[in-house]
Parts: sequence; structure tokens; C-alpha cells
Amino acid sequence: MGSMVIAPQSSGAKQRDRINRILLHTLVAAICFLTIFPFVWMVSTAFKPADEIFTKDIRLVANHPILSNFPDAFKTFPVARWMWNSFGIGVLTTLGKLAISFPAAFAFSRLKFRGDKFFFAIVVSTMIVPGVVTMVPNYVLVSDLGWINTWWGVIVPSLPGTAFYVFLLRQSILTLPQDLIDAAKLDGASTIKLLWQIVLPNVRPAIAVVTILSFLGAWNQYMWPMLILNDFNNKTLATGMQFFTANVESAQMWGPMMATATIAIIPPLAIYAIAQKQIISTFVTSGFKG
Amino acid sequence: MAVTSESHVPATRPPASREVTTTRSGFSWYRFAEGATPYLLIAPLILLIMVFIYWPLIYSVYLSFFDWNFVRPEKDFIGWDNYTRMFNDPKFMRALNGTWKYFAALVPIEVILPLVIALLLFPIRKSRAQTSYRIMLFSPTVIAYSVGAVMWLWIFNPQQGVLNKVLMEVGFDRINWLSDRDTAIWSVIIVATWKTLGFHLLLYMAALESVPGDYIDAASLDGASNWQIMWSIRFPLISPTFFFVLVTTVISVNDDVFGAINVLTEGGPFDSTTNIIYYLYNQGFKYFQIGSASAVSIVIFLATIFITWLQFRFVERHVHYG
Repeated sequence: MGSMVIAPQSSGAKQRDRINRILLHTLVAAICFLTIFPFVWMVSTAFKPADEIFTKDIRLVANHPILSNFPDAFKTFPVARWMWNSFGIGVLTTLGKLAISFPAAFAFSRLKFRGDKFFFAIVVSTMIVPGVVTMVPNYVLVSDLGWINTWWGVIVPSLPGTAFYVFLLRQSILTLPQDLIDAAKLDGASTIKLLWQIVLPNVRPAIAVVTILSFLGAWNQYMWPMLILNDFNNKTLATGMQFFTANVESAQMWGPMMATATIAIIPPLAIYAIAQKQIISTFVTSGFKG
Repeated sequence: MAVTSESHVPATRPPASREVTTTRSGFSWYRFAEGATPYLLIAPLILLIMVFIYWPLIYSVYLSFFDWNFVRPEKDFIGWDNYTRMFNDPKFMRALNGTWKYFAALVPIEVILPLVIALLLFPIRKSRAQTSYRIMLFSPTVIAYSVGAVMWLWIFNPQQGVLNKVLMEVGFDRINWLSDRDTAIWSVIIVATWKTLGFHLLLYMAALESVPGDYIDAASLDGASNWQIMWSIRFPLISPTFFFVLVTTVISVNDDVFGAINVLTEGGPFDSTTNIIYYLYNQGFKYFQIGSASAVSIVIFLATIFITWLQFRFVERHVHYG
């Protein structure tokens, strides 16, 4: 892809091209600065001692940087416990979503069966049901099941919110050559074998992307776990943060608070940084094209 | 919607060698199992959708006609009272007002700004800095909304926040970003813009990358200007993505700001930053007015359906599925 050089450019056009590129880079870099500044400021605060947090001047790097905000955060609040909850809920939600969305995506892309269009419409229509609409009755349901304050209460009701992943996986399965499927069928492969041994290994990149997006989504979810996990010790990182904010006037609080925020963003940022090329190429090949 | 426009690939079924097991009566366990497999594959998803999405939707309608505080065992039927009370509640009216403001400000921002940035990034997509740009631009999107909001809470802090320090450095007065009725909603909007930029940017960049290079080459051979290429080729080809982003933004925009509202302002000052989602949350989980909260969710649902229908009716006809 990409445009090739068609005719030799004049030196004036080349010059103009270079100036344009420099302008673009400057503009983009400025936007990047705005998006990452809150992160920079957070990390900077996480390493500041209390007496350097409320200062008149703007200090990006503390004169006497300290590490003690991190252990302080763990001592004041059950941050380790919150991390464990975020992690467990993230992993189990992801596994659950994959287990229900991949087989369905396969059925909707490669199998012909009575009512297939109808069932697919049922799945796609869930996209226009805002999550908050089902929040109250689901809360009643979860409480009737005795799942308040449990991981299951957070995980299970969020599992069917996978229409986007089903769509993404389906698009990816549709790009596989029909010959591959036909050959397997000629060999007498059952549908399950086809799914497990032929399709699955060939759409691994798309599965990886769904895994990552789903884990990030679960790690970051806020409103639902806030309602279900109402015990102080039982929060996730994303929902526990709000306990810090009760104390915003105290300089003692901001350091540990920013330290906790720093810890909370490391896993999602690391996962994203590693996988970003894969994510964009999956979006390019499977779905969001003209 | 791009989702439904694709037709199914017909699964032509060549005779499988196992069919020799067919008994004389014509019944085959193998064939029966094969026929049932598709349903088994979709069953878990469909069941969960029924239990946790469609059934709650119906149950919401039912609950919206009752007075119930969640603790009491019995529910009192009160007809349309929850609905009439809601429309007479000044707090609800202020929430509608806020909903409309978020909508008017954030839909254009969230749909157009990432497209503009994607177009800025596109000509320099081969440069070495591109990976760093992408990571920086997407980083707000991949973290939790509440954590992002906490970072901004510190930036907006009236006495010690860095934003006011910078303002005073350059000679302005300090602003009470979150406690002033005029600025609070803008603070939430800034955070929402920052937070949601990345995902839409990702979708637009993917769409731009998948526009075939030959179209562009052919057009520039014909002497089309960059601007013409943009309007007549690139934009029509990415219009399905644009429509997808528009529809999903319209649905989710007020949902999304909940995290920011709850951490930054809790709907205040004087309900100036509340919206219908926050109102629902308060009714349901602060005052435990389950019936009233259900009535609100039904109103949200109907409004969503109506707005989505409008978009399909009036916007989708301009979408070009290549």
C-alpha cells in the first residue's frame, strides 16, 4: 500500500513537502503533550514528599524525590487486595467472554442453520441497549442470587456484553479462504474439529486482540463493580480510588493517591504498548474498512 | 450499520465420508449432532443475553409501575406515577438539561476530533515517531475512567492544582474549576474528550490504512489535489467507520461521562454537571427508589432507540459501503 512516487518531484515541491512534515510533527507532538501531561504530573506527584506537594511554584521533579508514597498507599488502603480483585475479575471475565463469543462468531460466519440471521440480529441489537438500562433489574437479580460482594456478581452479568467482539471475530473468520474450510470438510472433519483445529489457529491474532480489549475493559470497569462490590476491602483498583478523594484538602493524601493511580495504570498501559501494532492491524483487516 | 450489511457465506456442504454410517431408516447420529452443533455453539451467548440483557429490559418495564424501595418485600402498584413524578421533578429536568449539554458538546468533539488527528497522523504514518505518537495518544483510553478522573481532580484542584498555578503564572486569576457552576461542566467535558479520543482514533486510523493505495495513485495521476482526494476518495471510503463511530458515540456519550461526574463533581454544583445517567444512579442506588429508577431507564432506552432510528433514517443513506 501507500502511494508510490509517480513522477520525479521538483526540488521546490520536495522543500514544501519537508516543511509540511515538520509542521505535522510539531502539531501532533503538541497534541501528544496534552494527552500525556496528566500522566506525567501524576507520576511526578507520586514521588514527591508531602511538603513538596503543596508548593507555590510548579515542580515537575521533586527536589527530594521519595518512594515512600507507594508503601504508604498499601498501608492506608487495601491496595494489594484491590489489585488482586481487578486482576481476577479481569482474567475470568476475559476467559468467559472468549468462551461464549468465539464459538458464536464461528457459527454466525461459517455455518448455515435455521434462524441464523434472527439469532445474529439478537446479538447485534444488544449494542443499542445502554448498559445502565439493565442496571437496576440486574442488581435485583444479582442480589437475589446472593452474589453481592462477590466476583461472580461482577463477572457474569457483564459476559453477554460481547456483541462487538462477536462482530470482530466473525469478520476475521470471514477472511479465511473458503478452500481451507472445504478441504477440512472433505476430509470428514466434524464442525467442532473444524472450529478447534482449523479456524482457531488461523484467527489467533483476532483472538489476541479480543483478549486484550476484553481484559482492559474488565480491569477498567467502574459503575457496575462499584455497585456490586460495596465492601471496602473488596473493591477493585478502579473503584477503590474514590476512597482517597474524600480527603482532597490534605497534602498527605495526594502522594499515596497518585502512587496508587500509577500502580493502577501500569498493567493496562504495558499490555497496550506491547499489543498496539497487532490491535490496529486486526482492525484494518477485519472489519473497519470501506 | 456495517454489522448487518455483510451477507452470510453460504456453507456448501460436500458429502462427508462419515456418512457411510447412515442407517437404512435414514437417521444418522452424526448428522443429528452436526445439525445441533450450530445451536450449541451460540447457546451460551444467546442464553446470557436473554437473562442479563433482554429479560432485565422487560423486568424494568414491570418495575417502573411499582413503588418499591428494594428492602421491603412487597411492591405497590402505582401505575404511571413514577413517570409523572419524574417529569415533575426539577432534579430530573436539570439532569435532562445536562444530558443535552453533554450531548451537544461531546458528540461533535468525539466524532470529529479523532478524525482530524487521524488525518494529521496519516501522511507521517511511516515515520519512526509514529509508534510513540500512537502510544501517547491512546494511553488515556486504555486506563480506567475513574483513575483518569482522579489525575484530573489533582490538576483541577483550586488551591494547589497545576492548572491554576499555570494560569496565575501567566497573569490570570485562579478558577474554581469544579465548584463554579459555569466551569464545572466544561471540566467534565475536557476529561471526557481526553479519555475517549484514543478508541475512535484507532478506528479511523485502521479505516484510512485500509483504503487501497491504487485509488489514491490513480486520482493523483489524474491531477487531483490532496484536498480533492480527501473529500472524494478517502472520506467516502471511510464513511462506514464514521457512521459506526457516530452511532456508538450517540449511544454511549452520557454513559461514558458517569465516571468523570462521580469522581470530579458528583453532579454538582447545584446539579450543573448531572445528567440522566447520574440521576438514574442516584434514584436507584442512593435513594433506593427502584420503581423510579426503572422508569428513568425505560425513558433512556426509548430515547436511545429513537435517536438510533433517526440516524439510520437520515445519516446512513450518505454512507458508502465500498
